[in-house]
Amino acid sequence: MKLLRSCMAAVWLVLLVPVAAMADNRPEFRIGTVNSVTGGASAIAAGAVSAIDLLEQKLAADDSLPFKVRFIKYDDGSDPAKAINAVRKLAQEDKVHIVICCTTTPSSMAVNKIVEEEKIPNISLAAAASVIEPASERRFTFKTPITDRLMLDFTLDDMVRKGYRRVAFMGLDDSYGEGGWVEFNALAKKKGIEVVAAERFSRGDTNFTPQALRVARHKPDAVYFHAIPPSAALAHETLKRVGYSGPIYHGGGAPTPAFLSVGKRAVEGAIVGTAALTVHKQLPDAHPLKKAVSDFVKIYDGHYGEGKADMFAAQAYDAVMIPVRAWSKVPAATRGGDLVQARAALRDAIENTRDYHGVIGIFNFSPEDHLGLDSRSTFLVTVKDGRFVLLER
Amino acid sequence: MDLQTALFLLADGLTNGAVYALVGVSLVLIYTTTRVVNIAQGEYVTFGALTLASFIEGAIAPVVWVVGIGGAVSLALDVRQAILNRRSVVRPVAQYAAIGAVLAALTLAAWHTRSLALQMLAALALVSALGPIVYRLTVEPKPGSSTVVLVIIGVGVSMIMHPMALLLWGPDPRSVPAISDGRLPLGPMDIAYQSLFVMAVSILATLALFAFFRFTLLGKALRAASVNREGAQYCGIPVVLAGRLSFFLAAALSAASGLLLAPLVTAHYEMGFVVGLKGFVGAAMGGLVNYPLSVAGVVTLGALESFASFLSSSYRDALVFALVIPIMLWRNRHAQEDLDEH
Repeated sequence: MKLLRSCMAAVWLVLLVPVAAMADNRPEFRIGTVNSVTGGASAIAAGAVSAIDLLEQKLAADDSLPFKVRFIKYDDGSDPAKAINAVRKLAQEDKVHIVICCTTTPSSMAVNKIVEEEKIPNISLAAAASVIEPASERRFTFKTPITDRLMLDFTLDDMVRKGYRRVAFMGLDDSYGEGGWVEFNALAKKKGIEVVAAERFSRGDTNFTPQALRVARHKPDAVYFHAIPPSAALAHETLKRVGYSGPIYHGGGAPTPAFLSVGKRAVEGAIVGTAALTVHKQLPDAHPLKKAVSDFVKIYDGHYGEGKADMFAAQAYDAVMIPVRAWSKVPAATRGGDLVQARAALRDAIENTRDYHGVIGIFNFSPEDHLGLDSRSTFLVTVKDGRFVLLER
Repeated sequence: MDLQTALFLLADGLTNGAVYALVGVSLVLIYTTTRVVNIAQGEYVTFGALTLASFIEGAIAPVVWVVGIGGAVSLALDVRQAILNRRSVVRPVAQYAAIGAVLAALTLAAWHTRSLALQMLAALALVSALGPIVYRLTVEPKPGSSTVVLVIIGVGVSMIMHPMALLLWGPDPRSVPAISDGRLPLGPMDIAYQSLFVMAVSILATLALFAFFRFTLLGKALRAASVNREGAQYCGIPVVLAGRLSFFLAAALSAASGLLLAPLVTAHYEMGFVVGLKGFVGAAMGGLVNYPLSVAGVVTLGALESFASFLSSSYRDALVFALVIPIMLWRNRHAQEDLDEH
């Protein structure tokens, strides 16, 4: 009986779906996504995958748009070669209007050429600024994640303001740490900060004492960490243990619950660079980002559970919403017309995005700037009583 | 470098050495009894630490499902073997049922208790049980394979276990409370009691294993099983059981290393692999056959790593792994003596 009933239900579904599809005769807006669902970067992609799934449901239910949004989703397995194939397939076979690719910097760099050849707009979810630079050669690539450069610029300005002149760097010895070090070194020189030590450690390290001792010996005015928990918190703890008592700064990889739960009392007083998402509850109501971030957290946490919203999800959310918004600005005739022209028009519309209040920040794209964020989207927080507290500007 | 700095480096280097030592002796243990160079040994460190972290959070460690499913498959294989050999199937079924009951009881107890000791015991038992399961599923079907095949099996197991830890526990690090939070003050510096625990367990485990293989009949039988498989079998040594036993003990030692390391660096899915590799480099000094030499090797390596990171943190791993070359050259000169060793 039960079997019969489920069979009937299945038949109904099969009958109903085409009817529903037929009723909706709005033209399609096809978004192709390539995420590292599997492989080494899967932990980073998890948030983005969830956000895109959520938006797929949300946009399907949205009747107010003059088009319906269809997602075509591929996995690059954290492999740049597979990302290239996926983007090519999306552009040529699936005939998407825009791609959102990719999770990692290497994959995003690899697909740059295809994106330019196919003249299809792409929004990357990778961290490094090199993905979109120079903007004159990466005409079709945009990105939403805050770059290390933007965050470091803001953090180093704070050091200058407080009069810290001799600063030490401690970072991971992988591509994340290396990217941070290159930006840190260049910006520090520009701002007249002397880098007195640069030490590296790795994610799996069990002992941070040597590096901490070496940094402490130089007696820097401040120490900057470019790492992610647990090593960020553990190295911080060790630095205090060997007798360093000055201010300690952290980069954008640190502000996660894990940083607090691993570091406990040792990370009290740490100054951490972050985006609005971490401290959205503490922002004044008048703050331009307050509403966008709170709305996102409400929808996302409502779907996946309390406290699940993270930076990776927020980046992907903006990466979908910006083109959806831009597409509605493209004239309907162009949208329904030739695919090449439609893609070009979409690219122009994205580049013309002004003052878009996303979850990550306020986007102002331009022909020179395909990140479009400024220091209004960066914040410094400090750890107080086991939570992140917004520092006054 | 002043004296205080040097002492700090030495103390933390020795703690690290002790952590590597437990993995190092597990490698020696497996190699001397089965001829497998077990690349995957570091993953048991990860599994041990994360299992304990799950119990502390009041959850059932997801490793239970791995042990359950792996155990069931092993049982099915053993039953099939028994039927093919026209033996009674009651014996394997009874054995697996007994082990399963013990593990289930321990898991349930650890789930409901707040006692750290019981939780550690349960984590240790569960992860140790993975050892023989891995052996049953990967090495046992290939009796008498060449070392290269066995190494590749180890690589394969490592490539499965590493992402499995990510799948089961996710990427977030979990903090694990130390057995004792205190620190022993030593003049200008201090040593965490946890570090002393690690060192004590390493030394005890090494001495126990050394004595077991040198002086007891069972230990000698295990070694015989690896030197000449068939000969040992003719003498009535159950070779298959010897392999399972050594994988069990090795998994237990590595998991213990994970349990003790977790409070110092938190439990996360990436923690074990590098520990495993460094344990291997140290154990290479003892040619993977000599317990005291291997332990001396890993402890030296820990201290050297500490000083190398102080001198140049970017090149410390290069320095540590480059150690393999002089060790190999030195081993080569002494190869003849070691052949007599086992």
